[in-house]
Amino acid sequence: MDFNGVEIISVTKRFEDTVAVDNVSMNVAKGEIFGLLGPNGAGKSTLTKMISGMINPTSGTIKVGGYNIQDDSMKVKELLGVVPQDVVLYDYMNARENLAFFGKLYGLSGSKLRNRIEELLKFTQLDEKAVKRHISTYSGGMKRRVNIAAALLHEPQIILLDEPTAGLDPQNRLALWEIIRTLHKEGKTIVLTTHMMDEAEELCDRVAIMDRGKIIALGTPRQLIKKVKMENTITVVPDKISPKLTEAVQKVSGVKNSYRAYDETEKIETLKVITDRAEDILPDVVSATLSVGTKILSIELSRATLEDVFILLTGRSLREEEEQT
Amino acid sequence: MKLKRTINQVFAVAKTDFLGIIRNKTAIFFTLLFPLFFIVIIGFTFGTQGATETSRISIGAVNRDGETIYVNDTISQNSTIGDGFVQALTEANFTVYEYSEYGDKDTNGTAAYDISRGQIKIAMVIPANFTETLSFQYSTPTKANLDLYTDPSDPTGSIIAQQSILGFISGFVSYYQEIAINQTPPDFQGYVEVLADPVTVSTSEADVSGRQLKWIDYLVPGTLGLVLLWSGLNHASLTIAIERTRGTFQRMVIAPVSPITVLAGKLISSLAIVYLSAAIMLASGVLLFQVNLYWNIPVIVLALFLGALSAIGIGLIISSLAKNEEAANSIAVIISVPLQFFIGAFFPLSIMPAPAQMFGEALPFTKLVNAMQNIMTKNLPFGAVVPEMLYMTVAGLILFALGVIAYRLSIKRL
Repeated sequence: MDFNGVEIISVTKRFEDTVAVDNVSMNVAKGEIFGLLGPNGAGKSTLTKMISGMINPTSGTIKVGGYNIQDDSMKVKELLGVVPQDVVLYDYMNARENLAFFGKLYGLSGSKLRNRIEELLKFTQLDEKAVKRHISTYSGGMKRRVNIAAALLHEPQIILLDEPTAGLDPQNRLALWEIIRTLHKEGKTIVLTTHMMDEAEELCDRVAIMDRGKIIALGTPRQLIKKVKMENTITVVPDKISPKLTEAVQKVSGVKNSYRAYDETEKIETLKVITDRAEDILPDVVSATLSVGTKILSIELSRATLEDVFILLTGRSLREEEEQT
Repeated sequence: MKLKRTINQVFAVAKTDFLGIIRNKTAIFFTLLFPLFFIVIIGFTFGTQGATETSRISIGAVNRDGETIYVNDTISQNSTIGDGFVQALTEANFTVYEYSEYGDKDTNGTAAYDISRGQIKIAMVIPANFTETLSFQYSTPTKANLDLYTDPSDPTGSIIAQQSILGFISGFVSYYQEIAINQTPPDFQGYVEVLADPVTVSTSEADVSGRQLKWIDYLVPGTLGLVLLWSGLNHASLTIAIERTRGTFQRMVIAPVSPITVLAGKLISSLAIVYLSAAIMLASGVLLFQVNLYWNIPVIVLALFLGALSAIGIGLIISSLAKNEEAANSIAVIISVPLQFFIGAFFPLSIMPAPAQMFGEALPFTKLVNAMQNIMTKNLPFGAVVPEMLYMTVAGLILFALGVIAYRLSIKRL
């Protein structure tokens, strides 16, 4: 593995009495899409802030492209392109003015800057009219695209994307996934922070699942799913979910775990049943559901997801975790 | 190459910051137009006059002269001089209201009633024996006494009214003395004249400018001190705080740009705002009030730069340490609003208590006001304001350095 991407060695970050990142070590290989997963407060953002040089670790070492972030911070900054979670642009300027400003911050000027701006304006897919309007008039998707473009002006080798699709509708979310895939094809190393397991599974070569400041699992999505021996999931969409229902389903022989989940795309609550013999126990799950007076709106079999891995490792669903934080 | 890159970065920061003001209507109002409103309002209210017009002073005259009195055991009823006195007041352009009695604050139609309600600023009671005393009707010399009553709830207005009336009375007494002296035998006239008026006082304005100056001519240079507080301090106090609220501060921190480069850009944009605001202030003074000043532009520009260093330094400290934009704005207002009364722009520091004077004199903004008044109204040479310039330089460098330290600390707080 080529470690000229990002090396994190025994990094800890404390904020007074709180340990936000606890002795984390991991490597991101050059050219891979690496996912940092976990609920809010897991330590993902703190870790990416340390990688970008925004804050210093309390202890440990971080190297980016072979450079230590504390000894060669300017070189590291040149290598990195950071796309913050929120849209961070000057809303009283138009897209071209914003890109020109951020390009100059990264040392671009003259024809090189003009050419890069034009390239990235094409990438943002804004029409000429929109380019001339102030950012404050843009839709959420347009702002996100300019937000990403602003981090790519200096052609960084390593791109940190912090929750890039948070709050986007499904269409814009898919469009952003395409952008990330394109950057990957161009050979960029991408560190993607997300709390959406499906996004990580879809995009990432490898993922690290973080919980309470620690990495609790690291590997390719398939490796992680295989590692916890959960190949199948039965997803039940009932008319209502009650504790009685989860209790009844949990008692079915062959069920390893069951939990409530929220389908971000469909905007519905579902009951996930984890098992390694889905086809065998499906009739029993249906019977158990009907036995507590719950109607089934739909039911499907699928393989286990990273969300299921997280639950098996922590005993909590991401949704429960988010509600707590 | 590196220098060119740094210069590009500095001007990119400055341009972005400057656009943030001129493309924001609220910011334009408070940074540029509010000072203009101020000078227009003050200028039209007081500016074009050298002194208060007497017609603005409303006086209540209670003329008891002519009431029946006994003079040397003889009934007398003469109101000639009292009537003439009231007539002269009117002719001197005072706004005169006549009353039959002084009365009390609860009796409508009396002078005391109208003073208590602010209708008149001062009341004067002319005694019943005014004509008899001044025409020497008494067998023993008797003086006439005028009673003046002022409004204690308006000390400033009362002092102005009182001084104006005393001035009028002094003029009346001189006129009366002249008539009395003329009736004295010629050999004694000179002695009587000295005895009647042994000490005289003449007051006139010294020639400090070589030009005839109005009050607005003194006010306009003073407003440059206010520009530093309103535009320099307030803008600088928001510049980092807004970036932090917007999130762009983090993006600047992770870019390969040194903190000094960012601050240099912020300094340039803040200076541009100060110069623009000062230009609007001075131009409005010239165009609206035809201010009569001396324009030593290089010294004005230099003094504004030195004064702005202090204002921007304080602003950067506020901006870097405040948690967000709202907090920065509140702190800036709490600091800049009281300070504007201590820099000698509105009131001379000499009328303040000693501790307030010492505080005011220590402010670099006061030095700017002094320097500008010396240069622009008195046409003094640059050498005359060197002490002020040196003071502003030292204070500016110290405060700006503290601003840089506060900015560096704020980066660590991310």
